[in-house]
Amino acid sequence: MKKKPTLGIYGFTGCAGCQLAVLDCEDILVDLFNYVDIKVFYEAMSNNEDVANVDIALVEGSINTNKQLNELKEIREKAGVLVAFGSCANFGGIQAMALGDGKWEQRFTRVYGDAKFTVAIPREAQPIHKFVKVDAFIPGCPPSTPQMLRALTQLLHGNQPTYTNSPVCLECKFRENECLLNDGKLCLGPLTMGGCTAPCPSHNTPCIGCWGIIDEANHTSELKLLKEKGFKTEDIIQRFRIFGGSKIVEKVQKLLEVE
Amino acid sequence: MRALKLSKKDEIKLYDVLKEFGEVWAPVPKGSKYVYGKIEKKEDLVIHEECILPIIPVKKFLMPPDFTMLKFTPSKYSIPEEDIPTTVVVGVPACDIHAVNILDKFYTTDYVDNYYMKRRERLIIIGKSGTPRENCFCHKSNTSIVEEGYDLFFFDLGDYYLVWVGSEKGDDIVRKGADIFSEEVPKDVSKKFVEFRRNRNKSYINDVDLEGVTDLMELMYDAPFWDEFGEKCLSCGQCTMVCPTCTCFNVIDDLALSGETGERRRYWDSCMFKDYSLVAGQHNFRESKAERLKLWYTHKLKAFIGHFGSPSCVGCGRCIETCPVDINVVTVVEKMKG
Repeated sequence: MKKKPTLGIYGFTGCAGCQLAVLDCEDILVDLFNYVDIKVFYEAMSNNEDVANVDIALVEGSINTNKQLNELKEIREKAGVLVAFGSCANFGGIQAMALGDGKWEQRFTRVYGDAKFTVAIPREAQPIHKFVKVDAFIPGCPPSTPQMLRALTQLLHGNQPTYTNSPVCLECKFRENECLLNDGKLCLGPLTMGGCTAPCPSHNTPCIGCWGIIDEANHTSELKLLKEKGFKTEDIIQRFRIFGGSKIVEKVQKLLEVE
Repeated sequence: MRALKLSKKDEIKLYDVLKEFGEVWAPVPKGSKYVYGKIEKKEDLVIHEECILPIIPVKKFLMPPDFTMLKFTPSKYSIPEEDIPTTVVVGVPACDIHAVNILDKFYTTDYVDNYYMKRRERLIIIGKSGTPRENCFCHKSNTSIVEEGYDLFFFDLGDYYLVWVGSEKGDDIVRKGADIFSEEVPKDVSKKFVEFRRNRNKSYINDVDLEGVTDLMELMYDAPFWDEFGEKCLSCGQCTMVCPTCTCFNVIDDLALSGETGERRRYWDSCMFKDYSLVAGQHNFRESKAERLKLWYTHKLKAFIGHFGSPSCVGCGRCIETCPVDINVVTVVEKMKG
């Protein structure tokens, strides 16, 4: 029998929800063990090797300390394919909502004063691609089961994962929802990667962008629209930033300058 | 074709007649809009005075947004056995029936799409002419009257409905409901019908001028206003989802972990999305949003005529109601006409 590919599931700063999303594939979990040899699974195993040589590494969470950074570099060295797994790893997550404002140290001091850190030296939350080469990504907060399994299957067979490059609005319309933007709500559906099946707008709750910013997001037009609807610029930008992380800094720096 | 009378006092009995033929679906409220929902009680089958244009039109019965086409193994494939119920959809406005006629042509000309056909054969359409809504412009797109594509069609003539029978299935329904569908239409029916139509034609609010737009699409193809729309467009794809004649889809294979078995899925796609026109080698035929908008409006107002003899815009006005940034037939035509 062909040797099973090895898998490591690592987690840094985040809620561990992406790792739990793997466990949540209950029906298929046993099947997963048939096709992969899981060497590391921080959230689910007690006998983890620290950082193992694996064919595929799924990395959850943002990098918030120097210790994590060193570990990430080691994971990179020992992994065949390194996958940014979920929103925090991809864009920094909500802990990176203020990325690019240059006030991290000020905020840090306000919370921790002059506390001395010796084991793990804190740093501003950043997505993993800021430090190491990322080969693939799986979006989501947490990733949806079908999307994650599709990506894992593609990776196991040596392919690049495909993701849903359409906005939340597509799936929102599949569910026959009235457009919340037209209803005067601050909805980020058009700016946000789909794949979630639009649960929030389906419960009349505007999208806050947790899957991450879609390639073609038109923040300029949406900002203008929302301002016309009476929202304040700072409130809109703040909403853009919640899950925008590094991507909003890269994509719409100009827009942030109006803050 | 023949016409019968259904008294409004017997309207409540309609559901029991229809449910003999299949599931009964009709517009049901959802927020401030309507969607086609399954009717379970006779009181919930409401025939509205005005035209009701549910968020997603009749196409949802004919081509589900996301479904499994086939399952496969390395040696064979099988099409899943589907138990598709016969569906009676009630209250469909004329424009949306025109749209179904267009879908029929699209899915059955040259190549018959069996996924469509097996649903189409099980769909019974009961149309209803209502008061036009604010955005309706079927009077301008020549789709305010429908002569085929329905099984029954209702006109509200005061204390009764004039019911046109448009198919054998429709005939079966009126025979089954012989105690409510009466052959004895009042003597002044023609007068009332003409009056109804006249009043209806007078009640349109949207007066978009579609005259000559087919030619203008060609002449204005490189006009700068397309770039302005492109800059505004959110690429949300809602216009294509709510459009009753949009048919585009994507097909993907979802493999099981083994990499050997799997299923092929088909789901609604939108030409407003970047990946829609992306091909091998990362070439994109329509890189900019302006180009994609031009494609859509060309398709709706012009290109379909060459293939099927009529434009594929049926004047329902859903794009007007839905686009968050006001890119729609009215604003595009206004720009074209200066």
